[in-house]
Amino acid sequence: MKRANQNSKKRKSWVYWVLFLTSIVVVFMLGILASSITERRVEAVFAYQPKVKLSEYEPRNSEWGKNYPMEYESYMETADTLFSTLFNGNATIDMLEVDPRLVVLWAGYGFSKDYKQGRGHYYAIEDIRNTLRTGGPLQPDGGPMPATCWTCKSPDVPRFMNKNGVAEFYKGTWAAKGEEIVNAIGCADCHDNETMDLRITRPALIEGFKAMGKDIEKATHQEMRSLVCAQCHVEYYFNSKVPVEGVPYLTFPWKKGMTAEEMLDYYNEIEFSDWTHSLSKAPMLKAQHPGYEIYQTGIHAERGVSCADCHMPYQSQGGQKFTNHKMVSPLNNISASCQVCHRESESTLAKNVYDRQLKVIEIRDQAEVQIVRAHVEAKAAWDAGANETEMKDALQKIRAAQWFWDYAAASHGGSFHSPLETSRVVGKAIDQAQEARILLARILANHGMNNEIPYPDIATKAKAQNFIGLPMDKLIQEKEQFKKVVLPEWDRKAQEREATYK
Amino acid sequence: MIATIITGAIFGIGLYAFYTSNAVSYLSDNPATCVNCHIMAPEFATWQYSSHRKNAVCNDCHVPHNNAFNKWFFKAKDGIRHATVFTARNEPQTIFIKEAGIKVVQDNCVRCHSALITEAKLLVQTESFHSQFKDRLCWECHREIPHGRVNSLSSAPYARVPVLKSTVPAWLKKFQE
Repeated sequence: MKRANQNSKKRKSWVYWVLFLTSIVVVFMLGILASSITERRVEAVFAYQPKVKLSEYEPRNSEWGKNYPMEYESYMETADTLFSTLFNGNATIDMLEVDPRLVVLWAGYGFSKDYKQGRGHYYAIEDIRNTLRTGGPLQPDGGPMPATCWTCKSPDVPRFMNKNGVAEFYKGTWAAKGEEIVNAIGCADCHDNETMDLRITRPALIEGFKAMGKDIEKATHQEMRSLVCAQCHVEYYFNSKVPVEGVPYLTFPWKKGMTAEEMLDYYNEIEFSDWTHSLSKAPMLKAQHPGYEIYQTGIHAERGVSCADCHMPYQSQGGQKFTNHKMVSPLNNISASCQVCHRESESTLAKNVYDRQLKVIEIRDQAEVQIVRAHVEAKAAWDAGANETEMKDALQKIRAAQWFWDYAAASHGGSFHSPLETSRVVGKAIDQAQEARILLARILANHGMNNEIPYPDIATKAKAQNFIGLPMDKLIQEKEQFKKVVLPEWDRKAQEREATYK
Repeated sequence: MIATIITGAIFGIGLYAFYTSNAVSYLSDNPATCVNCHIMAPEFATWQYSSHRKNAVCNDCHVPHNNAFNKWFFKAKDGIRHATVFTARNEPQTIFIKEAGIKVVQDNCVRCHSALITEAKLLVQTESFHSQFKDRLCWECHREIPHGRVNSLSSAPYARVPVLKSTVPAWLKKFQE
């Protein structure tokens, strides 16, 4: 009996061992099977399978997004409005509120009504529809702005130009093209639909290069990584004489070169002015945003760094490299943007940027005060009975001063892209403003006014707008009406059109 | 009986984890081990094209060599940190060496290149040589060594680095076909 018991115990422990080892093997094999399954699943993800066929000027970013999900997802992050740097970022900032001097500097021009720090590309359409600068046109032929204003807002622009011609696009009012231009800046603005190569879709840049005697076709890929941005982030004007009489043709003033002096020369030669200042009556120029021009004078450009290198850094996710399409201040992503080359800490690098910006803005503010004073003093001179011959030189100096100031101030990021060039140009602005004020002091003295013309009370945006006499309530009311009546109509017509796309 | 099967299953899954994570390789000094995690690919690629590839592998510089205990302790400590960061997908887009790692690498520079800084002829001419070398790091001047000046997970996307072998055995693949 005892022996039998021992035997069964022995047998039992033998069975347990077999069970133990078998379960080890079975689970191990199941693991390998799971591996195999995972591998097959990954294959499906990695094998590139375009999901849709894109037409040449497909304006809908979401269609491109089906084929390029990583790029599209990061592009959609331009909808983010929560990031702010010391001066900018991607939130809406009412610049006239921050700096009411701007209202006086732009008196008589649309920018004095409304000027906000732009948000991400995602909001391009929404923001141009909402700004007071575009007014509240209830009819297609109404409103203050030409169709040309749409040029930089949407991949619908190359679509329309391709279908109807370039001049046809620039022709007519902004309101008349509202139903055509509905998709925010996106894929087709910079990419070829077949190869995904970068491509220039805006004729103004190609023509600007031609005017300088350069061929943009010869640009390298690295240059293209800045040039696609230079389609819009540049100084421009609307030429209503050339090449088509009566059509505000988008033109880059690069014929003589890209510096502030060369462009001013160019404008003086063709006697161009954007508007006449409502206080000083000076023939003014509005510098738009010579971002590309100033960047080129900076150290990063000189070392061959492109816009995309910092504003759209390469990123790796799950071992896959792609270009981050969330275009934003590189301070939003110092790790991927700056530290790839600079081994300093994030806080040191941010400080290096802010130091430069703070120093430039210090003298920029001084330039603004001088130019505001010049405008006000010129008005006082007119009021005192000065005539055009007397005023001519002073007004030309005011024009130059404000051009230099605006060239530096409107080039967002210029104080970092090229702190030296930006300071130099602001210096020019201060010099020209002082020269204008000396001339004006003599004119005023000749008309019996030898006292200081008081600096206006423009402490807030409202006070400044009141000072230059803007009917803000009316402008806002018109805009509200436009948003209620016209915008839904534009969207409806656009939807109908897009429903016919394949 | 059930307890036996469960214990067996736990051992089995443990063995599988050991196998699939290539765990044995971590006991070696083979540089290919360091690219088990693909985010180290740029480091591997840049080392592979540097002069150091001839005489030094990753561990020659990045773990201490003053004694065996230190070596294995540091290796385990750093390895566990790396594995944790990688598993949690917590890696930054640009990798920086940590304070502890800096010290180890600097000591290892000196370990091999000591002749350069104890050269009697140099010391006669410049007495301050020794004190100066102590307050700075070799790569503050020799900035390209050995990983180059561009640092990013994306800096060498097409470099040919060793890739992990499939964990699926050949016979199973054959069977699947």
